[in-house]
Amino acid sequence: MYKIILSFRYLFRRRVSYLAFLAVALCVFIVVVVMTIMTGLVRGFKDNNHKWTGDCVVGTESLVGFPYYEDFINRLDDSDFIEGVSPVVKSYALVRGRNSEESVGVEMMGIEPVEHSKVTGFGETLYYNKNDVPDAFKPAYDPNIPGFVVGIDKWLARDQRGRYNYEAGSVEAALVVSCFPLTSKGALAKAGTEMVNTKTFYFSDISRSGLAGVDSSFIYLPFEETQLLCGMAGAVKRISAIHIKFKPNVGLAEGCGKVAVMWKKFVEDKKGEKQAGLLNTVTVQSWKDYRRAFIAAMEKEQTMLAIMFALVGITTVFIVLVVFYMIVTHKSKDIGILKSIGVSRLDVVELFSCFAFLMGLLGSAAGALAGWLFLLKINRIEDFLFKHFGFQLWDRTMYAIGDIPNAIDLKVLTVIIVMAISACLVGAFIPSRRAAKLEIVETLQVSQL
Amino acid sequence: MEEFWLQPLYLLIPSLIFSLFLTWFIGLLPVFIIRYLISSRPLSKFWSIFFVSVFWFFNIVLFELLGSHSRGHPALLLVGLVSYYIYRTDKGPKIDTSCSFISMFLWLRYLHKKRIVFLSIAAVALSSALLMVVASLFGGFINAFEQSAVKTMGDIVLEPPIKFSKYEELIRRLEQRSIVQSASAKLSTEGLLHLGKGDVRGVEIWGVSNLDSRFSKAERVSGNEYPVPNERSAFGFVGIGVVAEPNENTDEYDFDAVREIIGQDAVLTTGAVVKGQDEDGTAEVRRKTIKFTIADVVFTGVYHLDKGLVYLPIEELQKILYPGQNEGVAGQIQIKLKDGTDSEAALAQVRGVWESFAAEQLGWEQYLISRTAIVTAKQMQSEYVAEFRKQMGILLLIFGVVSLSAVLLIFCIFYMIVETKQKDIAIIKSCGATNGSVALIFIGFGVCVGVIGSAAGMVLADIVTRNINVIEGWIRIIFGLKLWKSSVYMFSSIPNEVDWSSAMLIALSAIIAATVGSLIPAIIAVRTRPVNVLRYE
Repeated sequence: MYKIILSFRYLFRRRVSYLAFLAVALCVFIVVVVMTIMTGLVRGFKDNNHKWTGDCVVGTESLVGFPYYEDFINRLDDSDFIEGVSPVVKSYALVRGRNSEESVGVEMMGIEPVEHSKVTGFGETLYYNKNDVPDAFKPAYDPNIPGFVVGIDKWLARDQRGRYNYEAGSVEAALVVSCFPLTSKGALAKAGTEMVNTKTFYFSDISRSGLAGVDSSFIYLPFEETQLLCGMAGAVKRISAIHIKFKPNVGLAEGCGKVAVMWKKFVEDKKGEKQAGLLNTVTVQSWKDYRRAFIAAMEKEQTMLAIMFALVGITTVFIVLVVFYMIVTHKSKDIGILKSIGVSRLDVVELFSCFAFLMGLLGSAAGALAGWLFLLKINRIEDFLFKHFGFQLWDRTMYAIGDIPNAIDLKVLTVIIVMAISACLVGAFIPSRRAAKLEIVETLQVSQL
Repeated sequence: MEEFWLQPLYLLIPSLIFSLFLTWFIGLLPVFIIRYLISSRPLSKFWSIFFVSVFWFFNIVLFELLGSHSRGHPALLLVGLVSYYIYRTDKGPKIDTSCSFISMFLWLRYLHKKRIVFLSIAAVALSSALLMVVASLFGGFINAFEQSAVKTMGDIVLEPPIKFSKYEELIRRLEQRSIVQSASAKLSTEGLLHLGKGDVRGVEIWGVSNLDSRFSKAERVSGNEYPVPNERSAFGFVGIGVVAEPNENTDEYDFDAVREIIGQDAVLTTGAVVKGQDEDGTAEVRRKTIKFTIADVVFTGVYHLDKGLVYLPIEELQKILYPGQNEGVAGQIQIKLKDGTDSEAALAQVRGVWESFAAEQLGWEQYLISRTAIVTAKQMQSEYVAEFRKQMGILLLIFGVVSLSAVLLIFCIFYMIVETKQKDIAIIKSCGATNGSVALIFIGFGVCVGVIGSAAGMVLADIVTRNINVIEGWIRIIFGLKLWKSSVYMFSSIPNEVDWSSAMLIALSAIIAATVGSLIPAIIAVRTRPVNVLRYE
């Protein structure tokens, strides 16, 4: 009991303790704020990637694609762990306005909107047809002509608050899409002629996936038309990828493992077929592996930031050490008296460890509370700064970030508090060992009183 | 200088306060040391003028090195006048010389006896090193970003709203100007590169008029000097990322494998928009193929260039895209200026040349001429650079706030020293030392800690920054974590130049922070009463 009483006493009576408390609170405050924002950004980015990809992708990087996909989709449909499957054609195209002579390159994705929305979050990304996904490729002004859905950043500009002027995008625009069809051997189809596959599509909707790279480079077209444009709709049809969604009770690794086994068997079964060689370029990847190049970068930045905070946090350990050193120096008589009534060395160490724990706990609680309050108002603060001083944390015309993420992750908060308490315990270790080693006869002799 | 005043208000006010503080702190610090620590009485006219002149000159050099763009440095002139007054006046804090020796003695003694002081030095060193490394790496990245634009596009880029012909004449006119070192034309389009059976990838095709001299020997994987071997009529360069993937773990290319690709044939497929042969002459896209020999593979170190570009002589690309066009067609002119030319000032001259060329040779209307973008490569990147700089500022602010705990640490340690050394202070005061002298002992000690800590921080930052690529390599080997990837951070290696102007500012801030940390303990020391401390009870 005396350990707790003395800990509280030292904490509240010794003003120098406030400094250590302040240092811990300051560090925790900053780390909570920064890591919450960073974690929120990474989580949001991952969620968007997951929604855009689905759970698993069976696909090839080659623009030639792979055949016999319908057979494999049938097998997937027959299995009990698959919720949805969406075949996709991906390629590059030259697009231009109907009356323009300048063309630009884009990435195009041929999808069947209903199937694809069952597997991914495609339907939710639409602006006009969010609740009417089957009509995603039907222009509102004429449902009988083929439509295209365009990535929002390719179509509309963001203002400084990150808002889009959707009215500016709702026009009767037409895009002439030209592709260079490839044969199953990778050669150019219709060789010897100057013919390309060209088709005109009409604006039907905008897709906002929240992924800057995707929204600024992709156009989405109806599946069958895209297959025709890319020369993949021959006798043996080809596609670029199959996006898969697992049933809710199926784990990611488990599901991907099962699909990989199924794919291996499928390749074995198709070994004798004419275009079987193309199946060897196909890989089975979870959404995390499929988008690894993008996700890993953000995760690494988060790790690097945490390491840098840990380095700066060493100063807090030093502060605690110095404060405890001072308290031990000043309270040598207390320690002498405690030892004279039979308190062991271990008890003295425990007393100061209890004090350090208390300081870490209260300091980090104060820092976390301040951080939480700051995060609650962070978007308002940013609005105020932008309104009066033109300052934004991120320029929304450049970054596809909406509000600053401010939801505290309890796991992150727990780690930060545990680290802060550990830092206090580490800082208090040497002074408490020194206190434990104090000799009664030296601290309580008359000349010291 | 104009840029300084054009900053937003939230940046202008702290910048102004910081500039004022920096100017007067740096300007007057040596003056106070000379007048009140070294000399105990006013200086003669000769020595006053001598010191004012020397430090005025020294400060101009220092502030120029720190990046000041002030013309004539009027603030430093004012500092010089005030310095002269301080040298000559007999007013000021009374500090006897003997006390300055005592101060030195006590500083050394505390450093020697109170090992805990080294903790504060370590904290200052660690915090300042971290800030310096972050500033250098981030600043280096921003500089590399700006330079990559200059390297890729030249100093000035001229881009009309539509393609234009007779670019050779425009280049000739530009190169006649004394400010222009060279100019080249660019024509670009997208297409598919067919490297072999089933090996097809999307690329951007640049037709350039200076393919022979565009890349240095170091950038060409073959290591050949230019001109390129022109054995075949059609040849081209490809970016290294087009034909190879970097190793997943090391992010390095297999150059031996890449060299084997040199000399191989490749086929580019692209589309040319031509007028249709039907009645209304609607434009349509025709497939065009270009067979060429890969004369070399280019490794610029800038990922997005290496990953997606194929370079062809502009004439080859023009033949395909604009058949029947006898005069050279270009979409962009890239201009390299002579060394030392101010690119902003050169814009007016380039615009003048363009306007006369477009009116005389192309017969363009004024509205079309005025819609031509003529900008410096740096201006093209300026929005991104400004955003990067803001992000760097925020990062430094965050670490700066966390580093404030170093001030608390110094305060704690000095407070402890003052508490335990009450008798020393009382004895000094009983010998006649003034309050100013006693305060100076601790403030001076704080400055010492700041100077030593920030100097150690600088050394540490220098070592870390210069060896950052080696350190990153070791982290990869030991922890299997590849921190820097060209596909993410654009460049194949981490910029490793120390930003000395930022480092100087951070060091100065660290010294000021250490001084601030020692202020309250110094005041407590001043308030020590010898009679209370030294009495027998």
